[in-house]
Amino acid sequence: MKLLTKSNIYTTITTVLLFAISIFVVYQVILIRLDTEVDKQLLSAKEKIVKGLQDGISPNAYFSNIGQKIYVKKIDYRTMYGNQFIEYIQKNPKDPSNDGDITQRELLFQTDVNGNVYEVTVCNSLTEGKKIGDYIAVVVLIFLVISVVILFLLNRLISAFIWSPFYDTLTKIKTWNIKKNETLNFKETDIDEFYLLNDTVKDLTHQIQDDYHNLKEFTENVSHEAQTPLSIISTKLELLMQETNYNEKQHKLLVQIYNATQRMHKLNEGLILLTRIENKQFIETNSIELTQAIDEKIEVLEDFIEAKQITVQTQYNKKIIKEINPNLLTILLNNLLINAIKYNLEEHGTIKITVDEDSFSVENTSYIDKINRQFLFDRFNKNSISGSLGLGLSLIKKIVDFYNWQVTYTYKDGIHKFKIYM
Amino acid sequence: MRILIIEDEKSLREDVVDYLTENGYKCDFATTIKSALQKLNDVVYSCALVDVGLPDGSGIDIVEHIKKHNPEMGVIIVTAKNALEDKLQGLKIGADDYLTKPFHLSELSARIYSVLRRRNFGGKNTLTFDGLEIDTTEKKVIANGNQLQLTKKEYEILVYLASNPTHLITKEALADAIWGDKADMATSFDFVYSQIKNLKKKLNEADLKNYIKVVYGMGYKFKD
Repeated sequence: MKLLTKSNIYTTITTVLLFAISIFVVYQVILIRLDTEVDKQLLSAKEKIVKGLQDGISPNAYFSNIGQKIYVKKIDYRTMYGNQFIEYIQKNPKDPSNDGDITQRELLFQTDVNGNVYEVTVCNSLTEGKKIGDYIAVVVLIFLVISVVILFLLNRLISAFIWSPFYDTLTKIKTWNIKKNETLNFKETDIDEFYLLNDTVKDLTHQIQDDYHNLKEFTENVSHEAQTPLSIISTKLELLMQETNYNEKQHKLLVQIYNATQRMHKLNEGLILLTRIENKQFIETNSIELTQAIDEKIEVLEDFIEAKQITVQTQYNKKIIKEINPNLLTILLNNLLINAIKYNLEEHGTIKITVDEDSFSVENTSYIDKINRQFLFDRFNKNSISGSLGLGLSLIKKIVDFYNWQVTYTYKDGIHKFKIYM
Repeated sequence: MRILIIEDEKSLREDVVDYLTENGYKCDFATTIKSALQKLNDVVYSCALVDVGLPDGSGIDIVEHIKKHNPEMGVIIVTAKNALEDKLQGLKIGADDYLTKPFHLSELSARIYSVLRRRNFGGKNTLTFDGLEIDTTEKKVIANGNQLQLTKKEYEILVYLASNPTHLITKEALADAIWGDKADMATSFDFVYSQIKNLKKKLNEADLKNYIKVVYGMGYKFKD
């Protein structure tokens, strides 16, 4: 959830709750005030009635014009003292819904006048007052809704405006690529926190970039500098191996040293190649027809294919011409095909090469199980297969990345499939 | 046959001189363009090995000089790895072959042999051994009077071994020579091994049991 949405939700909920409580309180206060007012009127009416009764004036004649209903009844003896207030709702017989209901408030009292006991009920309608209360409540409610909406919108607007440098920063960090050697330039901001954030991110990326370049340079230098001594070791070893008077132990040691040196040599060559691709040293391109290039590679590797009695099947659905560096294409196809041969069944395996409009794939049977996909294209991930340098797939990936292509690996029913989308 | 080696890297130069001397060539060396030109004026060489990167200039100048004054002479240029332009330029002005550093000494020997053969030095196109004759023009192998039926790869391996007759040829050198860097090592060693096995079998059948010795773990030797 976005920060803006979240903060907005909390503000809105709080505002609504506050307003709801205040409406309730206001409404209750109005009702209490209304009751007090009505009671005052009723009590003042009582005084007048008592006085009127003492003067012998019929209360009905006297009070019929002031909107209060008065019922006077002569009773035998007095049963109560003081005032009793009663509130009740009177249904309108013509209107069955609650709208026509009238809330009545009555004052019931008994009084002695000239030896007679009277029971008097003064009745006053609360409906008008209640209506006013309702109106007030509705008006407040409307204000509440309007304020909440305005608050919500305002909040959004202000927040979006205030947070815009932050989102700008976020987008820039997201699209930042360490390999592209670009400096991050953020939107100007006068908010301290964002300024600090941008500054920190800038410093951090600078640091990372520097480290990355140093590390890259280091790897390059190591590979290059190692080349000469490695060649010297190889050549000297070859000369040493020309001698014939070794005993068995010396011979064995020599073989081991030689094998290790050759391995080192190949590894170094591979690393240099990876670096050269990374450093864009293979930029010149030729128009190459892919199916023809594949056929040539199959021919070169024919010895190995035959040695393992592998059946090679090609399915060219389309002839595609690509602008590509010939060296890179050779490395790519070699690695794909050599893997397909090397890891194929000891005999009678199959390799199927398919070329489509925008992709080509190499499928092969193999003695190895599914390869763990997560580290498939990492350097030196050997999948515990001996004799491999662990650079082949990494080279494939490098070249594919170099041309912004895609490579996928799938495994189904014993068939490994590498597909390259161009 | 006399060969001039123009190389400033002492260690490599010494190895090359030693190796080629063992293979029966007479070797001289030079470390700069100046001394190389001096030597070329004084002596007639059959072939020159020219490193392109020399301390006082480009070896390409020497190749031009040779082609101008002694076009009969074979020239092999040596370039740093991947210096494609040097290679192309060298071949354009008439170098016979090129090698990129690092190279196997046996590869150098095979290339020199091939250049000399093409330039027809000594008038012979055959490698002759006891009971075995390899005609590199006709690509025929005669063993004890009978022609051997060899596959293309078997023939290539045999010629390579025969052009370094007394040396141990490592399996890497053989694989590199035949497939270049096109083949993955582990796979190509197996293949070299099976080719050698077939080759030995064919030689055995022609009653030539002494050729091609397998040196365990290291490589192969044409003869002791």
